[in-house]
Amino acid sequence: MRFGFSRLILLLLFPLIGFTGCEQPPVKFVFSQKTNELMPEAAKPVKEALVRQFGNPFALTQFEGLPTDFGDIQGTVKSVNPSGKDQPLIRVQVTGLENAYDKLQGLPLEWTSGKGQGQVSRIKEYNFETGTIAVEKSPEIDPQAGDTFMVECVRLQFGRDLYNRHCMHCHGMSGEGTGPTSRYLNPPPRDFRLGIYKYTSTKPTNKAQVADLAHTAKEGIAGTYMPSFKLLTDDEVSAIVNYVIWLSIRGETEKKLVDELYLDYSETALAERTSEDGGETREEVLEELKEYMELDFPDTLEFATSSVSEAWEEANLEDAIVIPKTPRVADTPESRERGRKLYLGQKTKCASCHGPQGRGNGTATQDFWTNPATNEKYSQRGLHDIWGNLLPPRDLHRGIYRGGRRPIDTYRRLYSGIKGTPMPAFGGSLTDEELWDLVNYVMSLPYAGNR
Amino acid sequence: MGKGWCLFFLFWPVAAVVSCAMAPWVGWSFPYDNAQAASNLGIRIDELFYIILVVTAIVFVGTQAVLVYALWRGANNRDQRASNVHGNHKLELIWSIIPGAILLFLAIYQMNIWADFRIKKYYPEAAVKAPLAEVTARQFEWRFRYPAIGKKLQQKPQPDDLYSVNELHVPFGKPVLIQLRSDDVQHSFFLPALRIKQDALPGLQIPVWFEANKPGTYDLVCAELCGWGHYKMKAHVIVQPEDEYQTYLKNLTQKQFYDGLGTIAAKETGTESEAVEK
Repeated sequence: MRFGFSRLILLLLFPLIGFTGCEQPPVKFVFSQKTNELMPEAAKPVKEALVRQFGNPFALTQFEGLPTDFGDIQGTVKSVNPSGKDQPLIRVQVTGLENAYDKLQGLPLEWTSGKGQGQVSRIKEYNFETGTIAVEKSPEIDPQAGDTFMVECVRLQFGRDLYNRHCMHCHGMSGEGTGPTSRYLNPPPRDFRLGIYKYTSTKPTNKAQVADLAHTAKEGIAGTYMPSFKLLTDDEVSAIVNYVIWLSIRGETEKKLVDELYLDYSETALAERTSEDGGETREEVLEELKEYMELDFPDTLEFATSSVSEAWEEANLEDAIVIPKTPRVADTPESRERGRKLYLGQKTKCASCHGPQGRGNGTATQDFWTNPATNEKYSQRGLHDIWGNLLPPRDLHRGIYRGGRRPIDTYRRLYSGIKGTPMPAFGGSLTDEELWDLVNYVMSLPYAGNR
Repeated sequence: MGKGWCLFFLFWPVAAVVSCAMAPWVGWSFPYDNAQAASNLGIRIDELFYIILVVTAIVFVGTQAVLVYALWRGANNRDQRASNVHGNHKLELIWSIIPGAILLFLAIYQMNIWADFRIKKYYPEAAVKAPLAEVTARQFEWRFRYPAIGKKLQQKPQPDDLYSVNELHVPFGKPVLIQLRSDDVQHSFFLPALRIKQDALPGLQIPVWFEANKPGTYDLVCAELCGWGHYKMKAHVIVQPEDEYQTYLKNLTQKQFYDGLGTIAAKETGTESEAVEK
């Protein structure tokens, strides 16, 4: 029963770690690869603008004009706890937050009356049980009993907490699709930052509806690792979708800003411009950049935010939904035969990707395709999606429908295409009857008996 | 130190009895606050559990008592030497026959329950005739395939089959049978409230029957570590009266063959996307 000294030390280490815990660095939203490829002087204002408008995962920020439900909640100071001079925090007892989400730490708090009116503090501590809020002391604010304030981003924070619990380990903290478990998955988890979602009920040029994303979260995507989250309540799902769209807006804003700068101010562009061929000096480039930042950047930023927001708002309008003009054509052998002819015909060219038998082995899968983003050939044969992943055309005999197995789902896949993939939209070129014939044919394939 | 060992070995049977006795009040007992099993088979399984618990408790406490007694005597008579009982035929017979008899009793006693639960010949006939649905476990969700209303479940998917995910509806008042499959790795179909547990194996189709003794919503969880998302593999089994179940199937049919224009859209909410959720 004798322990060696070293074993004793080991034993002592356990309670030590248990008591102190492991200190974690503050978590930040990541920036896209393209942002990081900018020259530092160009990347800095982009990053600052993003932090200003969106904050960080544990310090969310409200930004007017986004179609996001931030969920502001009003409260009133009941009393101010006395605090010593050298204490960095002011603690106040508040009312009005009793029915709100119980985790408000890190959120912005805007004073709406009293001395600090218009000032924004960060909530450093919040105790739901006692209704105590702690904010940092500053000369601008002096909360008194009766002062009113607004806690911002409460709904967003609720969505973030749920997202971090259920979605983050695949989709990543910033929605970049590289969470810790993502490396085991094929197909890889969606990168939300392009704002493009594949399975939508909207027209070809529209983004996804809120209801589409909620549907995906509730039903999962069969045939992929996206599981169903049906046991979450409707309220929880809508909070998650709210947060996911907000992450998308952040990523899209970033992309728009960087796309403006990338051609002239990336590290490679800089190297080219200051080389002998370019003939410019670094100072000249910086001068030009400075001018751009002063004159054009604010407008670019505003335009980026507003255009992205508008696109999301548009997608949720009633007339963005694809609704067939005629009901489904009866699923008869004749209809399927018409569908089969269309499938094999030159008008649709379905067979060139999905194969003449619908096995997903068309000739297009044997070609080297050009990446539209970089204008370079992909290193692998076959079709790719805009996220750069190899994307085999669906084997239509599998009976697995990622976007849902209702006839209307298949109709919409044909009408609007699958966004972000080479699957084209047939909404304009085919009539409703032709589309339904195709739906009937495609949906009969899993049962064709030729398996 | 002799008496110290006596205390040490005395502590364990006492701790075991005390912890068993207080288990129901502190949540160490059966799930859902020690609620009675929600199926008649489950109640019988619980009875088995208690019988085994009592038998093992008596044996454990008894052997510990003898051990403590022997230690106590030894500690009080340091000079007395132990007697050598090697090769005592009578003792050997006793300690072979008593445990043997107990094990044999348990083995025979549980046979009926085992047969009712696991041997297909003894499954309720009504359930075997018309399997309710095919349950496919996959990383990390449960997918269900019902036959169309009025039809029988077929081995291979049919065009009019009905599909749902993470929500299995079951009619109340009759035993039901599901065909359990796995899409990828090993999973386990576990209904804690009903005491039903059956592993799902890739490549096998395993029939499982159960019957809840009251309607309600029951948890369905995966009880076989199946990967990093094992913890999120949760679903609900909703046991409801026959007419509600039929209504559910009808709604599911309508939903699944929805063509964007039909009747559900107009029914309650007006907008189609919401109707889908209903």
